[in-house]
This record gives sequence, C-alpha cells and structure tokens, in this order.
Amino acid sequence: MKIKIFPKNEQEFSKFFIVLIPFLLLLFGGISLAKESYFLFVNILPQNNIFNYGFLDKLNNHITYSLLLSFLIVFLTSYLLPKTLGRRLVIFPIFFLTSLGVIGLESLDLLLGFLFPNNFYSFGNTTYTMIFKVLILFAFVGLLSINILAKKEASMFISAQYLFGAAIFYALSLIVYRGNFAVFSDNFFINSIYVSTHIYVGYSFVFLALLHFMTTKGINGTLYSKTLGSISFWGYLFLLPWTNFKFYFGSVLPNWIENISLYLSLSLALPLLAVTVNFFRTVTTRSEENKIIYGLISFSFGIFVVTNLFQIVSSLSNIIPILSLTNFEIAIRYGYVFSSILISIAFIYYLIPKIFGREVKFTRLESLTVLIIKIVVAGTLFSNALIGIISGYSWNAGANAGNPTIYGEGFGLLWSLISTPLSVNLFLSLLLLLPFFLFFISVMKAIVSGEITEAETVELSEEELPV
Amino acid sequence: MSELLSKVAEILNAPESLVQRSAEARAEASGKSVDEVLQSWAGGESVAAVEKTAEEPAPVQEETPVEEPVPVQEETPVEELTTTDESSIDIQKDDDEEIVQLLIEEELVEAKKESSFALLMGVIGVVVFTYLFAFSIPKQQSENLVLESLNNSVRVSEEILEGATIYNQLNCQSCHTQNVRVLIPDSQNGKVLKNRFANKNLILNTGLLRLAPDLSTLASREPTNDGVWLKKYLTDPTSVKEEIPHPSINFLNEQDLDYLITYLLSLGSTNE
Repeated sequence: MKIKIFPKNEQEFSKFFIVLIPFLLLLFGGISLAKESYFLFVNILPQNNIFNYGFLDKLNNHITYSLLLSFLIVFLTSYLLPKTLGRRLVIFPIFFLTSLGVIGLESLDLLLGFLFPNNFYSFGNTTYTMIFKVLILFAFVGLLSINILAKKEASMFISAQYLFGAAIFYALSLIVYRGNFAVFSDNFFINSIYVSTHIYVGYSFVFLALLHFMTTKGINGTLYSKTLGSISFWGYLFLLPWTNFKFYFGSVLPNWIENISLYLSLSLALPLLAVTVNFFRTVTTRSEENKIIYGLISFSFGIFVVTNLFQIVSSLSNIIPILSLTNFEIAIRYGYVFSSILISIAFIYYLIPKIFGREVKFTRLESLTVLIIKIVVAGTLFSNALIGIISGYSWNAGANAGNPTIYGEGFGLLWSLISTPLSVNLFLSLLLLLPFFLFFISVMKAIVSGEITEAETVELSEEELPV
Repeated sequence: MSELLSKVAEILNAPESLVQRSAEARAEASGKSVDEVLQSWAGGESVAAVEKTAEEPAPVQEETPVEEPVPVQEETPVEELTTTDESSIDIQKDDDEEIVQLLIEEELVEAKKESSFALLMGVIGVVVFTYLFAFSIPKQQSENLVLESLNNSVRVSEEILEGATIYNQLNCQSCHTQNVRVLIPDSQNGKVLKNRFANKNLILNTGLLRLAPDLSTLASREPTNDGVWLKKYLTDPTSVKEEIPHPSINFLNEQDLDYLITYLLSLGSTNE
C-alpha cells in the first residue's frame, strides 16, 4: 500500500478515501451506538458535559449528515469527475487544497464540538467555522464548474450532473443555516430547507451519481436512456428541496408553502419512475456478474425507492398529521444516508483493484458483511417508521381526547408501545458496528495483502482550458 | 423499387423499413436518388456522402443510451463514415461493411452535444429559485406578518433567556417540542404558538421532533409547575419516575439549573 501525502493526480487522491471511509463508517457506527445507549440506558450510564444524550445526538448528526457527506462528495469528485468529463481536473493542486479545506473544516468542527459543546448546533456544525465552510464550498463549486465547462466528452454524463448538484446544494444549505432567527416560523424555515438541501439532496445525489456509474462501469451495463436520466436529475433537483416543509403542516409556516411541499413531494413519483425504469432496463444489459457488488447496488436502490415511497406516502394530507414531528422523518433521512453508504461500499470494492492494483477476494467475510448491513439497514428503516407511526398516532389520539401534549400515564402508555422498537434500534446500532468493522478489515486485507492485479491506467486529456 | 428494396434487405439481412430509411438518408446526403443508392447497395458502386460537418457527435462510450447495445460502437465514430469532396475515394471493397455500419448508426439514439454552460446555468437557476421561493421570500413574508401584528413582542426576563440558552445547549429540543400543532383538536385543547419576535434560543427550542412529551403547557399542569419537583426530577429522575428514562443533568451548576427551571416554569404562559 503506497499513499502519497501530496497526491499528483486524482487517482492518488482517491486512495486516501478508500482507507478513510471505512474509518468514518466505524466512527459513525460507534457514535450511533453511544447515542442510542444514552437514550435507553440513561439511568445507568454516567452523565457529564460530553456523555449525555443531547451532546451525543449533536455529534451523531454532525458525523452522519456533514462529515460523511463531505468525504463522499470530495471522494466522488476526485475519482468520477475526471472520468465523466474525459479530462484531468483543471488546476488539480488547487482542487486538492480546496477539497482538503472542505473535509478539513468538517473534521475540525468535530474537534471543536468536543472542546466547545455549547457552540455545537443541533444538526452539527459549530458557530466558529460556518463562514469558512461557506467560502470553501463556493471555491469547490467554482472549481467543479470550471471543470465541467472544460469537459472533453460531447455528452454531459449523468454522474457529473448529480455531483455538481450535490455540491451546490451543500453550499446552499450552509448559507441557509446561517439565516437569522427572527420569528418562530424561522425554526421550521431554516431547519426544513437545511434538512432537504443538505441531507435529502446531498445524499440522494451522491447515491444517484454512484448508481449511474456503478450500473454502467461497475457491472458493465449500458445506460438505457439518457432522457430518463435527465428527467430524474431535473425532477429531483426541482422537487427534493421543497419536501421537508410538509412535516410542519398546520404549523406557523405559511399555508401555501405547506401545500406546495405536499404536492411537490407527491410529484417525486415522476423522477422515481424515471430512475426505476432506467435502472431495471440498464441492469438487464450487465455483463459483470459479481454477486456482492450487484447485490449491494440493487439493495441500495431498493432502499432508495422505499425512502422515496415514504416521502410520497407522507404527503397525503390525511396522513401527514400522524407522521409530522416524528421518527418517520428520521427514517427518511436514514434511507437516503444508508442507500449512499451501501452503494459506496460497492464502489470501494470496485475501486480497490482499479486504484491499488490489488484483487478483492469475495469470501465469506465479505458475504457476511453485506448480509448484516442489509439486515441492519432494512431493520433501522422499518423500526423508525414504526416508531413514527405509533407515536404520531398516539399524539393525535391524545389531542383528540383533550390532551395534546400527553404527560403522565398517557405518555407511559405511549412509551410502552415505542420502547420495543427503540430497543430494536439500539440492538441494530450495536449490530451495525460488526459489518462496519468487517468491512474495514476486508478493505485493509485487500489493499495490504490482496493478490496483485493490473491497476487501471487512465488516459485523460490534459489540454489547457479553451479560451 | 420494392423488389430492389427486398433484394437489398435480403443481402444485408435487415428489415425493409430500416433499409428504406437508411437509403433515403444516404440519398439526401449524397444528392442522388433513393433508387440509385439501393442499386449501389445491391451490387453497384458505393455512394459517398457529400460534405458533412466534422463536428458530428461522437457516440458516448459509457452512458450513451442505445436501443440495441452494439459492441462496435466505440471503434466506429461517425467521422470515419464521412468523406469530403477532395477525399472522395472508392470504398467499394468495404461497401457492405459500411452499409451495415450505416444501418447500425441509424438505430442508435445519438448522444447530442450538450452544453456545459447550459447545465450550469440551469442548476444555478434552480438553486437561486429554491433560495428565493422556498426560503427568502416566505421567511420575509412571515416576518412582515409579525411586524404588522398588534402583539408582536415577547417580554421575558434575563433569567428566562439564560435558561432558554441552557435548554438549547443541552439539546432538550432533540426529544421535546414546544409546538403543539395548530390542528383543530390542538387549537381547541392546547395552545396555539404565535409568531412573535423572540430570542433565537426561544425559537430554536420549539423543536423539530417529538419523542418525549410536548412542553408547551409544562407550567400549567401538576406536578411540573412546581420548581422543587422539577429540580428533583432533573437531577435525579429515577427517584421520581423509574419506568421512563430521562437524562439526569446533575452536571449543571446550581445557578444554571435555577435558570433552566425558571425557563421551564415560564412555558405555558409566555407563548399563550
């Protein structure tokens, strides 16, 4: 294994991420387990400024929604963008430094969160670095734009489109998050648009960029229709940023924005249909039969579809009062995050021989890793959706019975219903550590002692920018 | 002509309709009649295409949508099929291959040359549109509504604001809301949260997810309206209620705990 501190090109830079992302997944699994433990066993565990549910929840949000996303976006940009544009990245040293800035600031926030827990926002991000993050992301988006303008291919590849969309909405979400909290509705405005642009758009675009790459290059399929790809890209780009407002239906938000959110969430059916048809028609042309990689791609696509269906179902006006403000929304967030994680695992397995020139042997270890991850992901989605439905239904029933807030025995009754799926959540987060650890072992084993194979040689244009 | 067409179709082992369309396209490109083209394909001379632009779109290797996957697509860019007036040469010996290739090309949905600039402008347009119409304009609209309302200010003491800050830093809003929805049953039985200017932490504390009880009316019910009970519950929850887990915040200093309790006791009156 040879990783240079200052990579000369995109491929060398990608090596960093193949090593770092399994680490990050372990960190994500560990913090997630700590958070869930402090939720259920709060009476037993010691409490202080760091080890309490409130802080661990912020920490978990930061790692899940910001740190991991920033790493994935930079990783995909460094590897996929040159391939999809048919040329080396323009001014690579600047791109490298900007990318380091993006992931470095997100990592710095993690450290600052420990040092100054009171300056950590609920979704992560500390007050100290926000302005720098916005500036560095502007630079990153600018570099992406320059590279896209200088493309060598006649056609614009769909993966590059999604990557650009993910990066620009990432920047937008941070601008919004710095918004001024003047009236109560701002809580819903700012947080809704942050969740939908940062998590929904960010993660789903990372997933879709990888999906289009993996179904074509990963398993040697031929994209069925570019038109359907464009429909899904523009559809998601227009619709997803509006979809979180619906969870505050009947709140202090203006009625028109709540209604638009409902209708636009229902309209997600259109890009979903386009991407589904494209996926199924594309994978039928595949010539690569790696069961593990194909299994991960198709399972992650299934999770993405279910997440979209959750979005659509929760847009029905007579269902939304039950699902608002509940864990059902968490299930949607996790759906997007997990679909990206699953396909990233397939991507890393695909890349190891290409970049490190080492063969990945798909043994029982890899099969077990993938199997457990699939179980955990499906279970987490189901469990959170169930908690959402039960608690939402109970809050509503309480409100109809004259007790909208439900204290005392009423809440005791509700707790008896949701404590079981919450315990399942804890068990699943414990179980999640195992496949992430096995994945880490599997990646390390492959790049350290895997059989030597022919590494990918990329011949890309290095011409100057067109003037 | 139909006989000729059938003959060519038979020679090329392709559907007549496809041969017909290909012949028409070649005839248009070469300035000859369809019959002449078919004749040449049936065994006569090849018909060279007249000048075509050199910027004919090349097929995309990875993501080019195709009706029928054709393996030879990459090796046969469109430019190779075209010749200029000066370079018109006899390609009789490769004629059959060329015609078959032409037919294949016709079956491809060609990758159009896409403008990066248009894509970037489109995406940036959507981003600006989203920022304006999903955030900036409605946010301003809400603020204006509050400014115009008669009762647009919240008077709270410094102690309450301190308590609100501590509540926010402890992240209590990750489980508790202060936002009973303004649905009909809620507005009849509970409190309707109004839009009024307030401190940032007061706003953030309304919460986005409800796992534990809503605290909107905390101070208007027993036993939570009792400061002593609250203090005991927050520092040692198991001594009060064992079955439902609640974090102990015994790591707070005495003054911060007092601020927090003052804030909690203000809930149920400040937002009514």
